[in-house]
Amino acid sequence: MSLNSKPPEVVITPSRFRNPIGKYRLHRTDDCIGCGKCVELCPYGVHVIQAGHVLTKNHYRCVGPECPNPCHEACPVGALALNRNPTFDTMGDLRWTPDLLLSTWYMAENGTVPPRGLEYRIGASDGGFDRLRLVFPPAHRSQSEALNEDVDIGIYLNRRDGSSHHIRIDVPFYGGGMSYGSVSIITMLSRVRAAAAFGTFCCTGEGGYPDELKPYDDHVITQVATGLFGVREETIQRVRIAEFKYAQGAKPGLGGHLLGDKVTPAVAGMREAVAGYPLFSPFPFHSVYSVEDHKKHVDWIKTINPKALITVKVSTPTDVDMVAVGIYYAGAHIIHLDGSYGGTGAAPDIAKKNIAMPIEYAVPRVHRFLKEEGIRDKITVMASGGIRTPHDVAKIIALGADGVCTGTAELVALECIRCHNCESGRGCARGIATTDPELTELIDLEWGTQRIINLLMAWRKELIRILKRLGMKSITELVGRTDCLAHLDYMNK
Amino acid sequence: MRKNRIIKNIIESRKPMAEGLITRNHYKREEEGGCGVTGFASSIPVRGKHIFEPSRQMHNRGNGLGGGIAAMGLDPRILKVSRDVLEDDYMLQIAVLDQGVMQDLEKRFIEPWFQTDFSEIIPHVEDFRDIPGLLIRPPDIWRYFVRVKPGVLKEFMEQNNLLQLTQRQAEDEFVFQNSFEINKTYYDALGNQRAFVVSHGRNFFILKTVGYAEQVVQYYKLENFKAHIWIAHQRYPTRGKVWHPAGAHPFVGLNEALVHNGDFANYHSVVEYLAQRNIHPLFLTDTEVSVLLFDLYSRTYGYPLEYVIEALAPTMERDFHQLPSEKQRIYRAIQATHIHGSPDGPWFFIIARNDTENRRLQLIGITDTSMLRPQVFALHDGEVQVGLICSEKQAIDATLKSLSDEDSRIGTVADRYWNARGGSYTDGGAFIFSLDDMSSSSLERQLTCTDKFDKPITVSQGQVPFMPNESRHKMGKATKRQDKMSRFFNHQLPEPLYEYVKKGIKDWDYFALMGCFGEIAKWAAKNDAYFEVALTALGKLLDLRYHTYDKKRRSILQMINETLERMFRHFPYLDGKRNGAYRLIDWESRQLFRGPIKNEKTLIIDSSLFPPEGDSSDSRLMADAFHKGWKRFIAFGLKGHRFHGCGLGPGSDGVRIDIYGSSGDYLGSGIDGISLCVHGNTQDQVGQIMKSGKMVIYGDTGQTFMYGAKGGEVYVMGNAAGRPLINAVGKPRVVINGTCLDYLAESFMAGDPLNGGGFVVLNGVEFDAYGNIQPQPTPYPGSNLFSLASGGAIYVRDPFHQVDEEQLNGGEIVALEERDWKLIFPYLEQNERLFGISIQKDLLTVQGKQMSPLKVYRKVRPKQTKVEQSGKSP
Repeated sequence: MSLNSKPPEVVITPSRFRNPIGKYRLHRTDDCIGCGKCVELCPYGVHVIQAGHVLTKNHYRCVGPECPNPCHEACPVGALALNRNPTFDTMGDLRWTPDLLLSTWYMAENGTVPPRGLEYRIGASDGGFDRLRLVFPPAHRSQSEALNEDVDIGIYLNRRDGSSHHIRIDVPFYGGGMSYGSVSIITMLSRVRAAAAFGTFCCTGEGGYPDELKPYDDHVITQVATGLFGVREETIQRVRIAEFKYAQGAKPGLGGHLLGDKVTPAVAGMREAVAGYPLFSPFPFHSVYSVEDHKKHVDWIKTINPKALITVKVSTPTDVDMVAVGIYYAGAHIIHLDGSYGGTGAAPDIAKKNIAMPIEYAVPRVHRFLKEEGIRDKITVMASGGIRTPHDVAKIIALGADGVCTGTAELVALECIRCHNCESGRGCARGIATTDPELTELIDLEWGTQRIINLLMAWRKELIRILKRLGMKSITELVGRTDCLAHLDYMNK
Repeated sequence: MRKNRIIKNIIESRKPMAEGLITRNHYKREEEGGCGVTGFASSIPVRGKHIFEPSRQMHNRGNGLGGGIAAMGLDPRILKVSRDVLEDDYMLQIAVLDQGVMQDLEKRFIEPWFQTDFSEIIPHVEDFRDIPGLLIRPPDIWRYFVRVKPGVLKEFMEQNNLLQLTQRQAEDEFVFQNSFEINKTYYDALGNQRAFVVSHGRNFFILKTVGYAEQVVQYYKLENFKAHIWIAHQRYPTRGKVWHPAGAHPFVGLNEALVHNGDFANYHSVVEYLAQRNIHPLFLTDTEVSVLLFDLYSRTYGYPLEYVIEALAPTMERDFHQLPSEKQRIYRAIQATHIHGSPDGPWFFIIARNDTENRRLQLIGITDTSMLRPQVFALHDGEVQVGLICSEKQAIDATLKSLSDEDSRIGTVADRYWNARGGSYTDGGAFIFSLDDMSSSSLERQLTCTDKFDKPITVSQGQVPFMPNESRHKMGKATKRQDKMSRFFNHQLPEPLYEYVKKGIKDWDYFALMGCFGEIAKWAAKNDAYFEVALTALGKLLDLRYHTYDKKRRSILQMINETLERMFRHFPYLDGKRNGAYRLIDWESRQLFRGPIKNEKTLIIDSSLFPPEGDSSDSRLMADAFHKGWKRFIAFGLKGHRFHGCGLGPGSDGVRIDIYGSSGDYLGSGIDGISLCVHGNTQDQVGQIMKSGKMVIYGDTGQTFMYGAKGGEVYVMGNAAGRPLINAVGKPRVVINGTCLDYLAESFMAGDPLNGGGFVVLNGVEFDAYGNIQPQPTPYPGSNLFSLASGGAIYVRDPFHQVDEEQLNGGEIVALEERDWKLIFPYLEQNERLFGISIQKDLLTVQGKQMSPLKVYRKVRPKQTKVEQSGKSP
């Protein structure tokens, strides 16, 4: 029998905009005779017949030249022309390529990876995960015959002894912290509800613990960050996991910073601060300047909620291995390493691009060091910071993490286009990273929840497929298996 | 110029030291976290066991993988040498990890250069496994009392152009360089480790091991070994298994031993700075580097201590501008020259120094400019004087308790406790306890305490401490007192009882006073109502300030503490059927733990034997007790026990907790409804994230007081240390009667105080020796006040407008309005009730004249324009 509880259902959830962005555009001339051939041929439902007219309604589903039945070639009157959508190429960046954005949207709509036409596994940064490949052994029958249900991708979060909660999550990921204020309440709720559907967790970030989250207390990680915004005994006692945020990989050495315009009366109310003024979190905890202070800090939270698991989020400085050991000895259950690729548009570029160590360097280092120290199996290592795809998940686990924390990918599922304007004005034209009441209404809660569920279902399926191809039954077998990876730089040696 | 050349020549002479050093591509520093540090200096030599208790109590600041001690100012008789040899010879101590090397080492590094007056392998416990918890055998220590042979010294001076040095200076340098050669030859922190020099100065030694500091004391049988100054260190390195004994603290310069709590950010730059001066650290820790810096400044450059401290912890910002211009000129030169060597980051040093030139022993505590590590100083005056420096006040109290148990001339309470303000113009962030020789025949020394600027720290004169062994002079009028007592108790009159004892302090001698306390305790034992009378009266005597006439306040406090503990311990445990509202629980009786039954009201917790944190701590027990129905708590006997009042959660209105003893970190952090009363000083992280409730502190409070607080009503009788109310939001309302070190209310976001928001009233006053209120030199000495604040206000008592714009960053000073005064008045009234600090007579009276509150108080509030929105970085 499988350990896994039943995963949530996928419900097809298309874009909330009338004209979703696609990679290709099909131009239909007036020569169209409405014969319906294209409708018949297209495997992706790009064309539809409406009231006797053929319309190219779903451009965004077109997979372009990779299509097995290209309509534009089959059109008897040559009324169809295939072009690349110029808007497509203006989106994203080298890490989050337009291909990755669209494939994430596809997954959020359909709950499965895109069939064709989009590179959904890697970006184009030519570094990091984009230079790493999973190496699969030659396929043989028994692998493909294994049932999906027999593959376990769940992980245990408490690997220490003791009286704290014993928590297993059925998927090797939970939602990383995004505060109320940095994202809208709908975004926050969508993430938490999706996490609850998977039996996993989602972190509040440091902007307090909105009451709307209360029904999902068992799936919330409350964050104790340097600003201590909204942190009260009550919020710590409500949850099963409490997270210390010492630093973010996107901007180590800088605290959280919410610009004045985003501090609406509601956000200010949640944090009990003053509306209209920017909110700064100090960079360090003013009460933690050393590892013995950190231990004290952990002891404190354990006094407030003795059964809570403690996760400690740190960025990836050059001595991250030492930091990890210190975190373990102070009594934490989870170490969350946040590498340098993450962060929304609000984090300054100069920090994002220059300070922390990339996560794929940090994780193996920490993994190895904890192993040498003999404590690797006593602590859960979660990685974040630029995990975009299920393949990234598999790679970082093969490098030594136990699981990952999701972040940006979930915002992309809500149709973030990576415009990097999260901090401007009241934020986000797409209603994701906003605090404006009107913009917030751009997202319907059910829609948002289902989009994230679909995305994570696609990740789940893909991870199972990857494990099967690797001949593994459990994700825990993959931890630290660097032999399952190849780095393109060393391929020819 | 001559001096310059000498310095140059000394540095030049060290050049060969680098030869043959194992060079590595990069300096791999051992990671260091924070640690527990403690030290004390006593006018008489005291036993090593007294460093034992504070070290043990700071276990939670260490992990047993590196501890050490230094002892300075020794007794020559115990060491089997003459006093002259002790004071004039270098006490070269070599830790031997591989016995085989000693013959070679002696032949190469000792016999040719030194004349040895005495040598021995120092005694230790036969089998290290007899010491519980000690996992690795500590090294054998070979001790040599040596002088450099005159011929050798002459040659050394000639060869290195050091003829302008005194003989002694040259000899110091020779010893320093020779020890370096020994370490270079026999010890590689990352490789072969055979032997190393632990210490080589005069009249002191260092011992260290892979273990806890007190295990050093035990292993080398120092429990009964006497010294004037002891310092100890508990290491908390992040790295677990791999460690080398030479990496533990203390580290030696030449005539100083240093322990350190903290972590530099600029280790590499400091190493480079030292390398430019031909000094090469060998042990890969920033502590070694720290002591090398100290030695460089004091011995090579010949700086007076003040300049050494300035070079380490530069005076910055507004503090710099407050210095006299002559001092600014010198300090600027020091900073310009040595800023690259100045350790950056959180650090706190405790240094034992033998100022051989002045025949003076010193215990020095220096904090970094930003005061990022915990630190407490204390002075105990009397027939035996003790100066103490520790990470936590509880360690000071533990030391005093231990000393007092052996020598009743030492009390369990110090005369003064205080914090240093790092890199400041006020105290310089450093204090020095100096021990001077009184006569050549006795071992007793005179202790004085000064700050960085040589300003003395004194206690009020003309008061004598309690001496239990003295014969009685006056007899109390016992019968008359009995009548009075019965009236106080039978008629429930705590206030008159308090006044009666207060008067007695003036009229009686110590023995009569003690007799009175004894009677109070007897009455208190009779029933709950009498106990409450006694508790109220004794509480006031403990908490409030009043004239103690010929008696020392610390002696009176000690008696009150003892009486209270006796009263508390009198109550029955939780077993059996008893009447009465009070029940006692302690470590032994904790299995009896249960909820209250019948009319039981108050749970008295004897914290002394509970662990200071963790699952079976007393604070966890208190939280459980609350959930089982207890509503009132008295916790006493605390020795740095942490987290009291944490974990009760919301809905704890109506709960009252009274804390006696040395409370620990994170006291009341998170309280949401509780009323908490602390009878004495508190430590760091008090009242963090406090949501609602009330807290009264009859003393000072430590670092990051009320960090991230959301509300609550808090009264502090004394000072707050650094960073109080940082990032506080909502509506906290706080009265601090003293002042703060720095960074008060940074990023304060507590709304509009006139509209339900929060504020701090900063009175900037203190009690003088007679219990009268007097203004502090300035209401707020720090360079940063209300920085980046967007809400709330600070109401500062500042009749002479001493707080200025330069201290603000984002705030503005405005005149007080009538409605402001109306807002704070009730809080000051409550403050008056609690602490006896009168609004009319004390706060509104300026230089003997009563003034309008609108003239006495000023308001600091956020600038009324919105803070500029900063754009995205390019």
